[in-house]
Amino acid sequence: MSSLTYEAVNWNKPTSELAQVFWDQQWKQIWFPEEIAVSKDVKQWQSFEHQDTYKKVFAGLTLLDTVQTNIGMNHIAAYATDLQEKAVFTVFAAFEAIHAKSYSYIFTTLCTNTEIDELFAWVKKNEYLQYKANKIGDIYNNIEEGNSESLWKAMFASVMLESFLFYSGFFYPLYLGGQGFLRNSAEVISLILRDESIHGVAVGFFAQNIFKQFPKEKQDELKVWGYELLLDLYQNEMQYTDDVYAETGLSPEVKAYIRYNANKALMNVGFEAMFPEEEVNPIVMNGIRNEGSTYDFFSQKGSTYAKAKVAPITDETFHFNR
Amino acid sequence: MKTYLKLNNDVLNRYSTTGQLELEKDREATRRYFLEYVNVRLRYFIDIEEKIRYLVDEGYYEKEFIDMYDMEFIKGLYKKAYDYHFRFPSFMSASKFYDSYAMKSRDGKEILEKYEDRIVIIALYLAQGDTELAERAVEAMMVAYQPATPTALNSGKKARGELVSCFKLSMDDSMNSIAENIGYCLELSRLGGGVGVNLTDLRPLGDPIKGIMNRASGVIPVAKLLENSFSYSNQLGQRNGSGVAYLNIFHGDIENFISSKKPNADDKIRLATLSTGVIIPSIFFELMKRDKDIVLFSPYDIFKEYGKRLSEISMTEMYYELLDNPNIRKIKRLNARKLYTEIKKAQFESGYPFEIFDDNVNEVHPLKSIGRVKMSNLCTEIFQVQHTSVITDQDEPNQYGLDVSCNLGSIDIHAASQVMDFERLIDTAMRLLTNVSLMTDIKNVPPVAKANQFMHSVGLGAMNLHGHLVTQGIMYGSKDSIDFIDCFMEAMNYYSLKSSMEIAKERGETFYRFEDSDYASGIYFDQYMDKEENELSPRLLKTLGNIPIITQKMWKILKQDVMQYGLYHSYRLAIPPTGSISYIRSCTASIAPCTERVEVRDYADSRTIYPMPHLTNENTHLYVEAYDVNPYDLIDLYAAAQKHVDQGISMTLYVTDNWTTERLAKIYIYAWMKGIKSVYYVRQRLQTLEECVACQV
Repeated sequence: MSSLTYEAVNWNKPTSELAQVFWDQQWKQIWFPEEIAVSKDVKQWQSFEHQDTYKKVFAGLTLLDTVQTNIGMNHIAAYATDLQEKAVFTVFAAFEAIHAKSYSYIFTTLCTNTEIDELFAWVKKNEYLQYKANKIGDIYNNIEEGNSESLWKAMFASVMLESFLFYSGFFYPLYLGGQGFLRNSAEVISLILRDESIHGVAVGFFAQNIFKQFPKEKQDELKVWGYELLLDLYQNEMQYTDDVYAETGLSPEVKAYIRYNANKALMNVGFEAMFPEEEVNPIVMNGIRNEGSTYDFFSQKGSTYAKAKVAPITDETFHFNR
Repeated sequence: MKTYLKLNNDVLNRYSTTGQLELEKDREATRRYFLEYVNVRLRYFIDIEEKIRYLVDEGYYEKEFIDMYDMEFIKGLYKKAYDYHFRFPSFMSASKFYDSYAMKSRDGKEILEKYEDRIVIIALYLAQGDTELAERAVEAMMVAYQPATPTALNSGKKARGELVSCFKLSMDDSMNSIAENIGYCLELSRLGGGVGVNLTDLRPLGDPIKGIMNRASGVIPVAKLLENSFSYSNQLGQRNGSGVAYLNIFHGDIENFISSKKPNADDKIRLATLSTGVIIPSIFFELMKRDKDIVLFSPYDIFKEYGKRLSEISMTEMYYELLDNPNIRKIKRLNARKLYTEIKKAQFESGYPFEIFDDNVNEVHPLKSIGRVKMSNLCTEIFQVQHTSVITDQDEPNQYGLDVSCNLGSIDIHAASQVMDFERLIDTAMRLLTNVSLMTDIKNVPPVAKANQFMHSVGLGAMNLHGHLVTQGIMYGSKDSIDFIDCFMEAMNYYSLKSSMEIAKERGETFYRFEDSDYASGIYFDQYMDKEENELSPRLLKTLGNIPIITQKMWKILKQDVMQYGLYHSYRLAIPPTGSISYIRSCTASIAPCTERVEVRDYADSRTIYPMPHLTNENTHLYVEAYDVNPYDLIDLYAAAQKHVDQGISMTLYVTDNWTTERLAKIYIYAWMKGIKSVYYVRQRLQTLEECVACQV
C-alpha cells in the first residue's frame, strides 16, 4: 500500500479564481437531449436533399465529442493541480458525454439502423476526421505529471477543439435551422454550443494562468508551437469541409465561419487573432447568440430555463420600501 | 438561400461590435420579400368581382355572407380599404401575415389574399349584412382594431376552424364528469381551442371511493389524460393542442401538482406539454406572513359536509371553520413558506405554475351574486363565473351548468391615440366581438354553448403600450407611463360599458341575471363616483392624444343609463398576451415591456429578426427591455390598468438567473398586495458567461 497524503477539495475557500463561476454556470444550464422534440423534424427530414452531408456532419461531431470526453477533459482533469479546477473539468467531461450521446439521439430519431452503422463505419475511415482526432488525441496523451508545459499544450489543444474544430460541423444545422429547416436538431446544437462556449472560455482562462508563469523565451516558443498547430489543423479542416460539404455548395461560407472561430479560439487562450475579419453568414451568426432566442411556449422547450437558487422566505420578504 | 432572410438577419450584423442596428436592411428585406416571394405567387384577378366569384366558386369563401351584400357595396369597401395605402412596416409583420393568415390555394402555391382583402372579408363576414357596421369595421381594422387570431384567420373561409379559441371547463368529482370533460377537451382542441380545466374539485390521491380508503388516484393521472388528449387532438395536425390544469393550493394533491412540471420529475407524473396553474386564496398569504403551517383538504369531505364543491367556497372565509370541523380530514400539514418556495423553484425551472389570486379576483367580481370565478384560462386573463355541470348516467339527462368560451380582440394603443373618434372605435370593436359571440355555437360542448348564449361575454384588450410610450419619449414603468395606462384603461372601460348598454337598449336584452349584478345595483360604479380629478401634466395630455379623459360627471350619467337599460355583455374587457397579431400589426405585445429591442424569433418557419416598432438607433435607451424594468414598477403599471378591467390581464414577470427564490416570492407577494389577479409565466434570462466573467474579473 502506498502512503500518499490525499487532500480533500475544499470549496469553502476559493483556491482558483473563477472555478466557482464556471461550475455554477455549467450546472445552471444542464439539459438533456430527450427534452427536445427532434421527432418534429422527421417530416422535413424525409424529403431532405442533403441528408448525406447532414449525417456526416453529425457523425464527425460525435467523434470529436467522444475524444473530448474520454481523453480530453478526463486527462486535463487528471493532471490539473488545483482541486476545484479538477472538479470543474470533471463536470465539463460529463457534459461532453451528454453531447456525444445527443447526436445518437438525433440519429435514432431520423435514421435507420443500417444508416447509423454505415455512418459510424465512415467515421473510422474518413482520413481528415481521423487526422484531427489523432492530432488532438496525441497532445492529450502526452501530458506528463508535473510538467506544466505539457498540460498547457493539452489545454490549448482542447480550446482549439471546442472553439474552432467543432464549428465546421455546427455551421450546417445552424444554417438550416435559421431558415426554419430541421429546427429541433438545430436546437440541440445550440444547447451544445452554449456549453462549448463555456468550456472554451474556461479552459482558455486556466491555460492563460499557466502560460503567465512561463519565462518569456518559453512563451515565445509555445506561441510558435500554437500557431503551427492551428495552421496544421486549419489546412486539414479546409479539406474536411470540401469533402463533407461538396454537394451543398456551401464550402466557401463554412470556411469563412471556420476562420472566424479560429480567431475566437486564439483569443480564448490569450493569443492574437490570425485571420483577417470577414463577413460570416448572418443567419449562422444569429444562431450562436447566447441569450437564448425568444421563448415560444407553444412550440418547443427553448434554452432559457435553468436551475433555481433557493433562499428561504423570511419576515423581511413581506416588507416593501415603496 | 433566400436573399430576404439574409437581409433580415443582416439587421444585427454589427450590433454586437458597434451597437448600431442596420434597420434599413429590414426595409430592404421586406421589399425583397414582396418581389421574390409574394408578388410572384399572388393570383391575378381582373377586378374585385371576378376575384370574389372565383373564391366563392372554388369553395374558398363561404357564399352566404357575400350574398348578404350588394356587389357595388363590396367593391366600394375594397376601395375604402385600399385607400389607406397600407404598407407592412417590418419583414416580421409581412412574413407572418403571408405565412399564417392570408388565404392560399389548396396546394399552398398561390396567394389569394392581400392584407386589405383579409380585412374586407373579416368585415363583411362579421357584419352579417349590416353595411354600416361593415364600413366601420374596415375603418377600425385598417387603423387600430385587431380581432384575435382565430377570428382574423378563419372569418369568411369555407374550410375553417372556430372564430373563438379560448375555453374554460369545470370538472366534477365523478367518473362521468371526468369522461365527459375529456370528451369536451378533444372536441375543443380539434377546433383549435386552448382549454383550461379546473381539477380543484377532484378528490386527492388516497381518498376513499365508495367509502373504501386509499382507492382514489388523485388529480395527476387526470392531468396526464388531459395532456394526452390535447396532444392527440390537434387542428388538422397544424398546431398542437394546448391546455392548462388549475388546482387550489389547499388541495391534498398540491405538492405533486407543483413538481409535475419540473424537467427532472419522474416520467410517470411529469407534465411535459400541459400548462399548470395554482389558485391561491388570500388566507394562504396571511398564513405565510405569520410563518404558519397550512392544512390541505379533500374536496370529497367538503362536498359531503357542506354540499358545496371546494371551488364553490371561499377558502379565506372557510379556512378556520374547516380546521375546527372534525368531519373534515386534515390531509397534510405543510409550512406555507416552504411550500411557496417549492412553487418558486418550479417556476424558475419550468416557468410554471401560473398563479391566480382567488380573492383579488372574486372581491371585485361584478357578478359575485351569480357565482364565483373559480379559475382562469390558458393565458390567465379570462375570469368568468362558472357553474359545474352535473353529468349523470347515460339513461338520465345531464344538468348543464355554465362554462366559458371567450372571443377576444385588441386595440392598438398608439393608433387609437390618433383616431378622431375613440368612442366610435371602441363601439365598433364591441359590436364586432358581439357578432362573433352570436355566430359561435359549440354544439358538442353544451355548457359552453349555453354560457355563450346566456352571457354574451367578450374580451377587448390592448396592445402596443410600450411602442406608444417610446414615440412619446416616456420610459416604461415611469409615473407618466402608469398615469397614462390608468387614463387609457378607464376610457376603455367607460366606452365599452357605454357600448354594451347601447346594445342592450337596442336589442331590449341583457345578459343572464343582469339584475343580480353589481352593475344593476350600481355598486360597480362606486370606485368612480368619488374619483378625484387631478390636473394632468402636459406630457400626459399629449400622450393621450385623442383619447378622451373621463370625468366624474360622465360616470354618473353612465351609471344611471346602465342601471336603467342594463348591459348586453356579462364581461367586456380582458388583456391577452397578444402574440402573432401584434407581430402582424408591428405592435409591442399587450401592455408588456418588450423583451428584446430586437427580437430574434424562432418560429416554425424560420429565424426572423424583429426590431421593435418605432425603434431607431437614437431611441434605443427608451426601449428598456423587460428584464431591466424594475418589477415593482411593472406591477404598479399592471395594477393601475387592472382597476378598470372587469376580467384580468395576462402578466408575465421577468427575472434573471441571479435571482433567488425569495426575491421571486417577494414580487409575487407584492403583486398580490396590489390587487393583481394573476401572474402568467415567469420568464428568465440566463446571464451569458461574458457578463458573469466581466463582473468578476
